[in-house]
Amino acid sequence: MKPALQQDMTVAVPSNISMRGRPAEAGSNALTGYTAVEDATVVRRLREAGAHLRSSACVGEFGFGLPVGGAAAVAPRPSAGGAEAVDGAELLMDFMGESRLAAAHASIYGLKPSYGLVSRFGLIGLIPSMECCGILSGSLNTIGEVLMTVAGQDGLDFSLPEEDAPDFSPREIRPEEITIGIITEAQSMAAGAERSPATGDSRGAPTPRGAEGFRASMEELRRLGFTLREVSLPGYELFSLVHRVVGSVEASSAAGRYDSVRYGPRAPGAKNWNEMYLMSRGAAFGTLIKSYLIQGAFFQFERYEAFIDACRIRARLVEDMRRLESEVDFFVLPMDDGPAQEVRSGAGVPPSLAGLYESHASTLYANVTGQPALYLPPVPGSAPTGFQLTGPRLSDGRLLDLGRFISESWGGE
Amino acid sequence: MHLSERAFCGELAPADTGREVVVAGWVDAFRDHGGLMFVHLRDGSGIIQLVFSPEETPRHICERAAALRSEYCIAVRGEVRRRRPGTENPGIRTGTVEVMATELEVLSESEALPFTVSEKGMVAGAASTETGHVTEDLRLQYRYLDIRRPSMHDNLVLRHRIFQTVRRVLDSKGYVEVETPMLTASTPEGARDYLVPSRLHQQSFYALPQSPQLFKQLLMIGGMERYYQLARCFRDEDLRPNRQPEFTQLDIEASFIDEEYLYELVEELVVEMFAVGGISLTRPFPRITYAEAVDSTGSDRPDLRFGLRFVDVTDLFDETDYSIFRRIILRGGCIKGLNLKGQSDRLSKNVLQNEYAKEIAPSFGAKGMTWMRAENGALESNIVQFFNERELQGLRERFEVADGDVLIMIADPAYDVVTSALGRLRLHLADRLGLIPADSFCPVWVTDFPLFDATDEGSVTSSHHPFTAPDRTDFDPNNVEELLTLRSRAYDLVMNGEELGGGSIRISDREVQQKIFAALGLTDDDVRERFGFFLRAFDFGPPPHGGLALGMDRTVSMILQTPSIREVIAFPKNRSAACPLTGAPASVKREQLAELGLLDLGGREVPPDAAEREDRVDRISWLSRIGVAPEEHPAMEIVLDQAEELALLAAKEAGELEPMYSVVPVVNRTRPGTVGKRSESAETGDLLKNAPSLKGDYFKVAGILE
Repeated sequence: MKPALQQDMTVAVPSNISMRGRPAEAGSNALTGYTAVEDATVVRRLREAGAHLRSSACVGEFGFGLPVGGAAAVAPRPSAGGAEAVDGAELLMDFMGESRLAAAHASIYGLKPSYGLVSRFGLIGLIPSMECCGILSGSLNTIGEVLMTVAGQDGLDFSLPEEDAPDFSPREIRPEEITIGIITEAQSMAAGAERSPATGDSRGAPTPRGAEGFRASMEELRRLGFTLREVSLPGYELFSLVHRVVGSVEASSAAGRYDSVRYGPRAPGAKNWNEMYLMSRGAAFGTLIKSYLIQGAFFQFERYEAFIDACRIRARLVEDMRRLESEVDFFVLPMDDGPAQEVRSGAGVPPSLAGLYESHASTLYANVTGQPALYLPPVPGSAPTGFQLTGPRLSDGRLLDLGRFISESWGGE
Repeated sequence: MHLSERAFCGELAPADTGREVVVAGWVDAFRDHGGLMFVHLRDGSGIIQLVFSPEETPRHICERAAALRSEYCIAVRGEVRRRRPGTENPGIRTGTVEVMATELEVLSESEALPFTVSEKGMVAGAASTETGHVTEDLRLQYRYLDIRRPSMHDNLVLRHRIFQTVRRVLDSKGYVEVETPMLTASTPEGARDYLVPSRLHQQSFYALPQSPQLFKQLLMIGGMERYYQLARCFRDEDLRPNRQPEFTQLDIEASFIDEEYLYELVEELVVEMFAVGGISLTRPFPRITYAEAVDSTGSDRPDLRFGLRFVDVTDLFDETDYSIFRRIILRGGCIKGLNLKGQSDRLSKNVLQNEYAKEIAPSFGAKGMTWMRAENGALESNIVQFFNERELQGLRERFEVADGDVLIMIADPAYDVVTSALGRLRLHLADRLGLIPADSFCPVWVTDFPLFDATDEGSVTSSHHPFTAPDRTDFDPNNVEELLTLRSRAYDLVMNGEELGGGSIRISDREVQQKIFAALGLTDDDVRERFGFFLRAFDFGPPPHGGLALGMDRTVSMILQTPSIREVIAFPKNRSAACPLTGAPASVKREQLAELGLLDLGGREVPPDAAEREDRVDRISWLSRIGVAPEEHPAMEIVLDQAEELALLAAKEAGELEPMYSVVPVVNRTRPGTVGKRSESAETGDLLKNAPSLKGDYFKVAGILE
């Protein structure tokens, strides 16, 4: 049973999610002038449920990676956790943690659903095995309603697994029965990112941040009655490696469609079709995406064993996570919503792949394993830092229950 | 079973009835009629039907026969029988007989085939198997299986017959087949050479011959008088659909002869070659000068199977009011056209204006195209009102216009533009309107080519090669205008719009040769460096001589009417000049390069792997067809360096688990109950709306080849 959305709910949809008849340029030259021919399934379902759909711009090319902090954070953001999301909801393509990171910037909630739960039909994707449609909102109830509206089997997305729809019905959270795991290695990575307030971000609250803040938030969780247990995932730092190798290869493959034949601008003056591809595709991609595609093509054509190796590591990481899931019910991970990239690499330096991955280091895991991940913003007086909750794949409903319980306990919602 | 006593499948006939034979070959096809087995056995000679009958064949042999699969290599003993009336198969030559098997030996088994080899139906009237759906690269990868197909087999056998014909005819006329070297020095044919590095002479190269041109002339100076060779030639040229990096040409050269002698010889030869394919050609072959050919068909290799000759109408518009024509004539241009007799039903105003005038003619290089349709005794067109009655009457007379005719005209200040664009329109229209008769062969000699072509820099270059004799020798090598009026004693043999071959009478006078070099702007040093050894030979009494080369792959392909020359070559390269069977061309080990001294050619002081690093980005950029601007190079370099590190780390951490490609159990298949249907967006045309370029209902792309 799908409960109706709240009356008049507004949902912002970025231009890398197709809305029939609307430009869907996905922030890329490769799709300049492209008008969506069909509704994405998520869009169709929201429309049918009575949502007001509003366009939002795509942050960055293909919405891949979020520019972090610095000038971009100070300047009014075109979308990604903008004012609309606070009252209504905003969809955001999540390749490497964009929806959680955008939520962190806006101090609202952000959910990356389980992989395979939401149809990808009509999403202008880049990394088929990792990308999801993320949901941002100022209200966890809203996120829950949107998720229930868009989730489930779709005859148009043949990559969706044939799984029974998970049980979303709200269930009571009894903290004394719940064990939450803290991944040691994730914590130490956050500690590594600890920094003095001077280089911190402009929203800077005078509360402890970084590892210290995270520890304080954990204390608050414990105080709510949850059992917190430290668990070890020795391969945690390999999430970035796996994501970058697999992601770039899939992107290189997926971006093959931008060939200036069926859509996208064609560079003039090509003498044959090889030249047409070379010139049109050369002009289609910005330097960051191009470097990602070139890297993927390198693995594809010249180091294919690296891709296979990365997929083996991915299997191990997923297996390790499943093992830990038998020990604890949920996990809590710190959120490194990052100092400005410009601060790290020097002002004016265009974003690099390495910088992008560094700034998304704390969110990559869920895209690699396909687990759901929910960002909870800090709550003054209770949790000095925001953090991520995650659980087994398809535990999205329980994860929202847990988030709601914590927020309500802290007087957040 | 002794294979030495074997009979050939394709040769068994009713006369052999009752004979016990051993046959061997491949299982082409088989049918099992509940214990009664029929097998088509194929060898180099053809196909014979084998019968394994429970009544007459020993039981264990029948059991073994039941396990036969396509392309098993087997030997069988049995008795030749006449087939029962009504079971004959007219689809194969031996269709009235069969072999009742008594013994069976499986000589070797075959795995499942990548494509069907069998081409003959087992029962009368059964459709033969087509290879049309098999990609050519797959056929080339398994060429040995492809050659088992009777049609490919026949192509190679007929190619052999044609080659034997060449040898027989030329031998009967006193020609001697002489082999010339494959490893040689670069020759002046003008295409790129395939180079072969020398290990013994480090950093020196042989070139594979583009043709045996110099050697055959040296054989004439050597007094061989009549030479021929079925020579393999190599040219590293840009890709074209019907071009091979290596090809076979019939190379002929003779001394003390003239053009007439060669026409006679080659016509006789070509007539006999085409006779192998059952095609009779009429002699003598017509001749047309280069100038006439271009003026009347727009091509130096005119297709004479149909008319549509150009008519010049420039003079009709000397005083025209139609400003476009007037301006073109003022600038020294010309107007030519052709009459498509009785085609107005098939060439509507819409087709003429929107397809031909707007799309096709411009794509052939014309700036515009004028068309007129003759109806009710008048010419009609979108611009006919600009012409006066005298001009229209002139057109009607010049083109001998009747109702139903369609006139097409091209006007341009440049003669070359007019002839070339109208020439391509002529071919396009003939093809579209079905004006080219099937199975017709129209050979023609094209003669009197210009000796020189003008270059963009205002000098001249040889249009054939610099050893071609000019039509006169009293020219001034410094007068470019005069040089461009010289004609050569060269001739091309053209058939159905394709050049089969060409040749020339050579220069045998040193002074003339020096004038030609001077005209080409070659200094004595240049000449010595490029042709020194060759010209030295002319110091010792060269005879007058000339010759011709015939492209054998193309000629055989035309005789056998195959869709491409690859069908008549046993192991051709594909359209990308690669060999899917052997993987050539392929990279080689660094040690091999080191041994050949190729690691730091040119002696640049660079680290050993610098060249490789330098073009790494270009290489990936090409492979992924993503252009990388110079200013983007450094960023890509960095990313590729990081990729190397990531690959190392991944290898170190890989472990032993099966790779995981998706975190969910996904099978790519059609869901049960899904019915294939045309996309709604395709129906409505929405799918096409975002396309940068369309042609009708198709996405339009740049040509595969230039």
